[in-house]
Amino acid sequence: MAIDFNEKIYILDGAMGTMLQKAGMSSDETTTHFGQEHPEILRDIHKQYIDAGADIIYAATFGINRYKMEELDVTLDEAVKTAMDAANAAKAEAAAEGKEVMVALGLGPLGELLEPMGTLAFEEAYDAFGEVISAAVKYGADLAVIETMTDLYEVKAAVLAVKENSELPVIVSMSFEENGRTFTGVSLEAMAVTLEGLGVDAMGINCSLGPAQILPMAKELRRLTDIPVFAKPNAGLPDPTTGAYDITCEQFVETLAGYLDEGINMIGGCCGTDPEYIRGLADYRDSFVVTEARSTAEKQLKICSGSTVVTVDHVTVIGERINPTGKKRLKQALLDEDFDYILSQAIEQIDAGAEILDVNVGVPSLDDVKMLPRVVRQLQSITGLPLQIDSSNPEAIEAALRVYNGKAIVNSVNGEEKVMDAILPAVKKYGAAVVGLTLDENGIPPTAEERFEIARRILEKAKSYGISEENVIIDCLTLTASAQQKEADETLRAVRMVKEKLGLKTALGVSNISFGLPARPVVNRTFLTLAMENGLDLPIINPNVEDMMASIFAYNVLKNVDRNAVKYIERYADAEIGASIISQKKDRALTESSDKGGTVHDIFYCIEKGMKGDTVNAVSALLETCDEMDVVNDYLIPALDKVGRGFEKGTIFLPQMLQAAMAAQAGFDVIKERLAASDKETVSLGEVVIATVKGDIHDIGKNIVKVIMENYGYKMIDLGRDVPAEKIVDVVKERNIKLVGLSALMTTTLKSMEETIASVKEAAPDCRVMVGGAVLTADYAAQIGADYYCSDAMKSVEAAQEVFDEQI
Amino acid sequence: MNIDIKEPISREKWLDALHVAGKADDALEAKLNEAERMLLREAQPKAVYRIMDRNEVITCGFSIEKHLEGCSRVAIMGITLGLGVDNMLRKTQVKDMAMTVILDCGASVLVEQLCDEYEELIKQETEEAYATFRFSPGYGDYPVSEQGRIIRYLDASRRIGLTVTANSLMIPRKSVTALIGLADHPVAGRLATCGECVLRDKCTLRKEGKFCGD
Repeated sequence: MAIDFNEKIYILDGAMGTMLQKAGMSSDETTTHFGQEHPEILRDIHKQYIDAGADIIYAATFGINRYKMEELDVTLDEAVKTAMDAANAAKAEAAAEGKEVMVALGLGPLGELLEPMGTLAFEEAYDAFGEVISAAVKYGADLAVIETMTDLYEVKAAVLAVKENSELPVIVSMSFEENGRTFTGVSLEAMAVTLEGLGVDAMGINCSLGPAQILPMAKELRRLTDIPVFAKPNAGLPDPTTGAYDITCEQFVETLAGYLDEGINMIGGCCGTDPEYIRGLADYRDSFVVTEARSTAEKQLKICSGSTVVTVDHVTVIGERINPTGKKRLKQALLDEDFDYILSQAIEQIDAGAEILDVNVGVPSLDDVKMLPRVVRQLQSITGLPLQIDSSNPEAIEAALRVYNGKAIVNSVNGEEKVMDAILPAVKKYGAAVVGLTLDENGIPPTAEERFEIARRILEKAKSYGISEENVIIDCLTLTASAQQKEADETLRAVRMVKEKLGLKTALGVSNISFGLPARPVVNRTFLTLAMENGLDLPIINPNVEDMMASIFAYNVLKNVDRNAVKYIERYADAEIGASIISQKKDRALTESSDKGGTVHDIFYCIEKGMKGDTVNAVSALLETCDEMDVVNDYLIPALDKVGRGFEKGTIFLPQMLQAAMAAQAGFDVIKERLAASDKETVSLGEVVIATVKGDIHDIGKNIVKVIMENYGYKMIDLGRDVPAEKIVDVVKERNIKLVGLSALMTTTLKSMEETIASVKEAAPDCRVMVGGAVLTADYAAQIGADYYCSDAMKSVEAAQEVFDEQI
Repeated sequence: MNIDIKEPISREKWLDALHVAGKADDALEAKLNEAERMLLREAQPKAVYRIMDRNEVITCGFSIEKHLEGCSRVAIMGITLGLGVDNMLRKTQVKDMAMTVILDCGASVLVEQLCDEYEELIKQETEEAYATFRFSPGYGDYPVSEQGRIIRYLDASRRIGLTVTANSLMIPRKSVTALIGLADHPVAGRLATCGECVLRDKCTLRKEGKFCGD
């Protein structure tokens, strides 16, 4: 059923809503509802568009989905049937008159935003689209069009739903604002990179603006991709008071004519247009002569998230820190599902200048098929940086690629046939790039020539799966110089060969080179510099090591990449060079010291004033003479108590209390690192589950409580926001939890809080529940069955003390 | 449509929202300055309004009914700071709760400030000489579940990217919808009373003997 959208100029139809208004739809009625009530009007409008010259008509299914059922009086299946039948009736009528047209199933936004911005899960969105598509297939569609989208993630759910539930060709258009981004921040480039990867048949722009505003964007999109591009602008811009659109049919046609000159070969209209506009376009099409062949888009490796595109045309740093190998603290965080720690590792790397983050969750006892996608979701909730999915398990890779928003890198395949056959199909399906390691079942070959040969094999294999050349990255593998000295240079030669002879991008993990040698940083940065000179594009490094970053910035100056050394100067104008090594740029918060003299302040003072760096210094100093737990019990906790008393008295305010808590947290982190390093158990006063209830996504209050309680030594199991009662009950039973904290901020979600309390009490009668949130009072909390009402974070500490003290 | 931020974020209201009594000390002042810069960088305020006949607008509850009494038409407004602010808050929460609280309160103050300005603009642009103050779902007995209807009236998800969840939570989070009554004779609108308010048994102000309309 493939359609070649490049074959000719296609005329698309015009607005449906505008036409229904003309047909008598009242202002408080929805297009979907009115259309369902009057299928004969739908059919007539479709026919008018066909008569005007449209080649593709969109069935009035745009607003039909499970989240908008209140607009319908019938089942979803019946609604889809009514809309499809109306379009197909018009198509049949036209066929009888000798005109052939195609009917598109129209899919619009579901109306609710997906996570992390909204509450809708990716899989639910997929299912919601899937059921409409399955119905439409029954009632006859020639293609699917996903339109008026603003979230690339929702588009991905819809595209996968079309591809996995039908054989229909699929075209996608998104709606952009004048700044060239959608409401959710998607750029044209991110759309082009992602959708080309997902294998859509055409992509375009519709709605929100008029043809004059969309033209430059359409031109840019045309330049960004080789697949067909289409546009359906509005009839200008609406008048804010009347809602009327401001350009005439003639102006519309005249401007859209310019689209054809640019090689945009599918045009139609959105809001405000009618059959006259479409007739104008069709008439123009008939007189249009294609003058010259369009130049093709430049092939470059691009990686993206839903909002940020990284073009690998310069040395691009991949941050390696989210990988538990050799990192006890991260390993523990993964086992404890302590996502805040994992996310803080991400933020540090972003601040240090990483452009892509590698994500590896390889802990032996952990199910990476579940964990890898979870960490990916968590990361994309706080960062727009593209990710490199790092695993050897094909199932985990596929699960992570599926929930990834954008175009990722898969790390990695190697020259082994069965590894490539297991992983490359998913790389192709989800439109990712892939790293190929130059090793195979016989291990890592010693010479550059042999590694090059494997690289060539990987490239051929990738191409056989339909993965294009620019999406294949080769890692020639860094070996340890102290053990295999002569192979360090082989790696460098292999990089150069891959670069020069295959024209592929290259990646290398760098720090391996120096194992077993003294002054490792010197070896690392020298190797990095040599590798860049030999053609390394994607160093996989710890960006927090400023020395490595400095080498890259300096390299870019010397290679005339960083023009006028602007970036280098910006970064290092104030740098201090100490003992030949650039002092590491510290986490900015840690440098917020009170003075530069290096005096160690009293820890009570440091915490009260929220001085993170000084608190860390003070704790380190105390640890020279005291045991870890003594520092906690004799210094950190009493300091927090003092702050807490100030807060209750009203002499310390919430921002200051949190500042103090964060300083204490930094102190606790020093202690945790020490305990983890010496394999001692962290002492916890008790485990507390905390969550924002189902339906609510306000989590600031919950997180304040979490930070404060963690400081007091409670182990907080944070289930996040919008958490269903069942999930809370499961954790309570599984870990024999004695205290649950629930937060709700809306009158509409108090019901959900009440139900959650009931479920917890039923499953675990001796588990106590504390609640908090702006719309609660002590009386109301008691009424819905809570044991404790906490008006602020200190009250939750008191509640916990009561619960856990009585158990001792 | 995009709207401009004309005024700095009111420090007085900001400190109020943070429950900080008196003046900010230097450390807090520095944080507020940084937070303001961050907010102004990430906020992309957009607003939309539409005027409908009173009898076309379906409302629910006694409070709004009373508020719009005597009005022939209604201006429906929606305003949002955009998703950039939500994204920033999510990211800030990971490492800095103090800053998160400051940003969150600042964003709330900012969106209210923009509402005040936008309300004035609407009043200037309408032909009626008289108008009530704005009234939002969640106030009095006007249920927040009406949020969805208002967003549909405004076609707000398409026009300004303002959506609502099944639980009537608006996303982007820092958003406001409201109704303003319009009339050709003097109208005052009406504050809801505690007796009709959905929050009457949960309201902390009321416990303290205060009234939210004060």
